[in-house]
Amino acid sequence: MLPLEYDRSQDRDIIVRDRFDTLRREFLRTIVTPEVIEEHRRSPLGQHSERLERLLIYFRQRPLDERYALRTVEPFGKYQVVRLSGHRGTPPRAVDETIYASANEALHGLFLHCIRDLLET
Amino acid sequence: MAQIKIFGYADKISVKAGDTIQFHVSADGTSTAEAHLVRLIHGDEHPHGPGFIEEEIDCVANGTWRVEKQFTQVGAFLEVADPDRKLALDGSITLCAFIWPTWPDVGHRQCLLGRWDNDKNHGYGLGINPSGRLEFWVGCGNEIDYLQAELPLQKQAWYFVAATFDARTGRATLYQEGVVNRYNSLLGKVAPVDYRSHVSEVFRFRQHNLPDTPFLVAGSRDWHALRGHFVSQLYCGKIDRCGVFDRPLRREELDAIRAGEPPPSFGMVACWDTTKGYTDRGIGDLVVDIGPNRLDANGYNRPVRAQTGYNWNGRNDCFRLAPHEYGGIEFHADAMIDSNWKVTRTLQLPETLRSGAYAMRLRGGDGTGLGEEYVVFFVRPRVPTGRIALLFSTATYLAYANERFATDGHIVQPMAGQPPTICEVDIEIYENPEFGAGCYDSHADGAGVCYSSYRRPMVNMRPKYRIAAFDLPWNFPADLSILAWLEHMGYDYDVLTDEDVHLEGVAAMAPYACILNSTHPEYHSERMLDAHEDYIAGGGRFICMGANSFCCNVAFRDDEPWILECRKTGGHWKAWAARPGEYHLATTGQMGGIWTGFQRWGQKLVGNTFAGEGFAHSQPYRRMPDSYDPALSWITEGIEGDIIGDFGLGNGGAAGIEIDCYRLGFGTPPNAKIIASSGGHPDNYIAHDEEGAYSHQGFSGTHNYILRADMVYFEAPNNGAVFATGSIAFGMALPINGFENNVSQLLSNVVNAFVRPGPLPSSAIREGKESVEHLAI
Repeated sequence: MLPLEYDRSQDRDIIVRDRFDTLRREFLRTIVTPEVIEEHRRSPLGQHSERLERLLIYFRQRPLDERYALRTVEPFGKYQVVRLSGHRGTPPRAVDETIYASANEALHGLFLHCIRDLLET
Repeated sequence: MAQIKIFGYADKISVKAGDTIQFHVSADGTSTAEAHLVRLIHGDEHPHGPGFIEEEIDCVANGTWRVEKQFTQVGAFLEVADPDRKLALDGSITLCAFIWPTWPDVGHRQCLLGRWDNDKNHGYGLGINPSGRLEFWVGCGNEIDYLQAELPLQKQAWYFVAATFDARTGRATLYQEGVVNRYNSLLGKVAPVDYRSHVSEVFRFRQHNLPDTPFLVAGSRDWHALRGHFVSQLYCGKIDRCGVFDRPLRREELDAIRAGEPPPSFGMVACWDTTKGYTDRGIGDLVVDIGPNRLDANGYNRPVRAQTGYNWNGRNDCFRLAPHEYGGIEFHADAMIDSNWKVTRTLQLPETLRSGAYAMRLRGGDGTGLGEEYVVFFVRPRVPTGRIALLFSTATYLAYANERFATDGHIVQPMAGQPPTICEVDIEIYENPEFGAGCYDSHADGAGVCYSSYRRPMVNMRPKYRIAAFDLPWNFPADLSILAWLEHMGYDYDVLTDEDVHLEGVAAMAPYACILNSTHPEYHSERMLDAHEDYIAGGGRFICMGANSFCCNVAFRDDEPWILECRKTGGHWKAWAARPGEYHLATTGQMGGIWTGFQRWGQKLVGNTFAGEGFAHSQPYRRMPDSYDPALSWITEGIEGDIIGDFGLGNGGAAGIEIDCYRLGFGTPPNAKIIASSGGHPDNYIAHDEEGAYSHQGFSGTHNYILRADMVYFEAPNNGAVFATGSIAFGMALPINGFENNVSQLLSNVVNAFVRPGPLPSSAIREGKESVEHLAI
């Protein structure tokens, strides 16, 4: 159980959300495998296996300020991974210096950031 | 050196050759721009297609333009016309209003009503202070005296608030009482919330009014060295009936107003009855003063009328039924429906200009990135000449104008099945509220955006633009693929816009034997829908090129067709939800939402409409048995095999992104045939099942046959006919392989048959067959 002191904000929904998220992440960590990562590398868009689909649905539902996006540096040629601010008026920021040569490579780079966040936090 | 940015808009979206058009341009980092008129032919830079294609047009306006930084007033408010300065009250005063704040804790002062100069600290005002409390203040230039309530205001709760000031004694009093009933506010009676506050204090001095300060509702005057006067302290929330008196009203008089009794006439300077002036056909921007001075107020940036008032009790759902319960006027600090920039250049278009999609191309500096702008407009011929018209969905462009899905929309990544791909201009509009929002966005205070206009830069109605959420050309740039196909095939065509159809009705469509519309013809006013129905029923031949067709109901004023109103209600898919009781369009009085709510499903008009959407991945069509019917085989003539469109610039297939299906139960004409159909879309395609009010597992692409794009064909009365593709991706498949592909072949079969005078091939074949059968008998 979470201690009562866990959160003192008025919105108690946050506590329930965080508990659900903790349990969901615990499960999702168990389905991250080299095969799932390779499946995404081969085909970042379209129909996927159930495991990969579960991970992607979770990543797409993160709070806005925890989500990543691609930034077009050069159309159809250069892309970067950025993190959204979640606050109108504050631009997304680059997560690193990596430039990807295709949208699919960048989508996979973004996916790896999501996987790292899931496994490391 | 400052980054060069150029943005612009035109005063009109649709003009005729020879007409005059005005361009409004703002520039950062440069004082000149190179202008060139261009005809736009293809807008998608995808390497699998022909790329961006424009044709430079000789024009007197081509050359170097002087440009400057222009400023935009954001925020909705009311300004009172008070030439005789009746409201420049230097003595005793009462200000009162019913209010429903939506963002009291925003952290900066919001002015509810007052004659206040925020730069020079002169005048008086009643508002909400940075701690979210009601506050009354007076200023004499050097100093300001404030009186604040004891507790913060609750959001989305109706209050009656007032401030009185007795100039003789210097006593200021605040009056704050909740007027919450069972329906009108966020919380009900069971919530132990204290709404009441009554405080009083003696001020040190009286207010001093400057002569030119305007009396404003929902904002106050401010000043900036570069832009001059503007309005700040913008309020977020609703205001119902409000007034000004030149004496301090007594507590019992204020109690009586709170109870709904008429305000006292003694001492009344102005009393704005926000429910006056309503008509059965809509509400304007003027707010009527019923006081002795007739100091009517006018809305700026279109404050939202037809909103529920403090006395709304849940029984009536429209201002037409009970105007007195619909006195709420809603204000948003980031509302913006007209940039109101100075005219940079006026141009009379050449009389000989051919009909098409045009833009004034503007380049500053090296003309890259935000230094390049295309101000798009459409040119019709003075007299229709072609047998074909391409109808651009300008209403849909308006609904999606400057949407911020990718950066602001919680739901968008799950819906799109992919992360967004953001470009420089997406970041620019995310950082800068001066671009205004579209009807897919919410205001910063959380309410949905119900007005959108083209009298401001629309960064996504531009060639080359790709919508960030889906990494696709969307609406206008995608529709250019259809125009490029008409060009490539050598068809003689004119262009039309939704605005023309709205303003002129079926007369705008009637000259054409065949009309093709856009990849995404989603938004239609009642007049537009009627015109389409009359055109087809009257013998017109219509090709519905896209999907999510004829779904949403919107409204325009005749004298301001550049502003669209949209209320999101009905169905279970919407970017935001109109609040209870606020479903009706202030522009016309008609209920908003989707045409399904009026028994005017898209299927009734073109045989198919919205099945669902999923983006990220498209599929081909497979031919259906009807395509082999000898009477219909002309549609697929020259096409080998069962697969149509396993390619495209719209995610690799001709069927996808958003898809429409045939449905007899929703009014698909009984003679309609399905020529080809897709299926097996990924599970991020979710069915928009109007019959299934319950969501459940199995609504997604691989589980549900509803999720498909149907190519539908049917004949209408008087030799009319409809061919509907059922897919946004269809038009984006046309340019593949130099426009030589089976989607292109199929479309040309249909266009060729549709432009030919006389009976359709299917009718002729059937008639021939019938006569043979008759002879056999």
